[in-house]
Amino acid sequence: MEEKELVELSKKGDEDAFAALVKKYKMKVFNLAFSFTRDEALADDLAQEAFIKAFLGLAKFRFKSEFGTWLYRITVNHAKDYLRKKSRMRKMPLENYRESQSVEEDEVTKKEKEQVMEQRKKLVHSCLQTLPEKYKVILTLRDIQGFSYEEISNVLKISPGTVDSRLHRARKVLREKLAPFLGEKGGIHEM
Amino acid sequence: MKCKKAERLLLRSFDGLLKTEEREELGKHLESCLSCQRKREDYQFMLDALKEKDFPEPRAYFWERLQAKLKERKRPEPLLLWKQWGMRAIPLSLLLIILLSAVLVFSFFQKKEELSQTGILLFQNSNPIQETKPLLEAEKFEDRNMMIIFTSLGEKTDSRRYSP
Repeated sequence: MEEKELVELSKKGDEDAFAALVKKYKMKVFNLAFSFTRDEALADDLAQEAFIKAFLGLAKFRFKSEFGTWLYRITVNHAKDYLRKKSRMRKMPLENYRESQSVEEDEVTKKEKEQVMEQRKKLVHSCLQTLPEKYKVILTLRDIQGFSYEEISNVLKISPGTVDSRLHRARKVLREKLAPFLGEKGGIHEM
Repeated sequence: MKCKKAERLLLRSFDGLLKTEEREELGKHLESCLSCQRKREDYQFMLDALKEKDFPEPRAYFWERLQAKLKERKRPEPLLLWKQWGMRAIPLSLLLIILLSAVLVFSFFQKKEELSQTGILLFQNSNPIQETKPLLEAEKFEDRNMMIIFTSLGEKTDSRRYSP
C-alpha cells in the first residue's frame, strides 16, 4: 500500500494503516529525538509523543509536503519544546571535561582509545547543547542526522540559502565554543 | 583568496557542495595558510565527533505502547466534556440574563402611575377648584393659614387635601 493511501486511511482513524506508518518512520523519529536529547528513554518518550501529535493532527495534514517531512517537523518542534523546558532547569557543565582529556594516546590500548573518542563526542555534544536553539537544530539535522539542505529547508520551512548561511554560522560558533579544548594541531588538548 | 572566503568554502566542502574550480582554489589556499589548515582540522574533528555511527533503538513494543496511549487520548475526558458544555452554557446564560433584565426594566416602567387628588377629581368629572374654594373664600387670615398648614401636613398621605 502506498504511503498516501496509508495516510488517508489513518486520517479516517484506521489504526492498522497508522501502525504501518509508525513502523516505517519510528527509527528515524527516534534517532532524531535521540540526537536532541542524548537519552534513550527520553528519546523514546519524545518519539511516542511526536507520533501521538501526528495522529491527532492528521486532519490538518493537506499533503503540501511529504508525510515524512511533516512528521520530522513535528518531532523537531516537540524536541525544541523539550529543550526549552530543560534549559530552564539546568545548564550543562563543561569544566569537567578538561581533566578527562589528559591521556597519552600512543600508550593507550584500543579500548582506551574508544573511551577517549567517546569523551570527545560527549564534549562536542555538550558544547552543542549550549548553542542557541536555531544553531543546535540545524547542526542536529545536518551533521548528526545527515539531512540534505533541501530536507532541512522543508522541515524548518526556511529557504535553502538560509540553511546554508545558518549552518555556516552554527559550525563557526560551535568551533568557537570548542576553542578552549582544541589543541594546536586540531582535536582535543593533550594535557 | 582571503581566509574568510576560504573558511566559507571549507565549510561547504564538508557537504560536498564545491565546484571543481572552487575546490582547487581552496586547495591552493590551504597549502599556504597554516591558520586555515588548523581550522580544517578543527572542523573535521568537530564533524567526526558529531556523526553518530550507532544509534540506539527505541524500547521494545513501540507500537503497542503507542497504541495504548492513543486509545487513552481518544477517550473523551469528563473534564473536557464539562469544558465543552461550559463553553456552550456561557452564551446561553448571557442571553437569559439579558432577557430577564429586559423583563424587569419593562415591568418597572409599566408600574401603575398613582393619580393625584386633583387627577382623581378630574377623572370623576368633579371640579378640583371647588375643593379650594373654602380656602380662598376664608375671611380670616389665620383660618386660611391653618387650612394651608393642614394641607401641607397631609401632603404625603392620600388625604393630603384640606377637606372642609
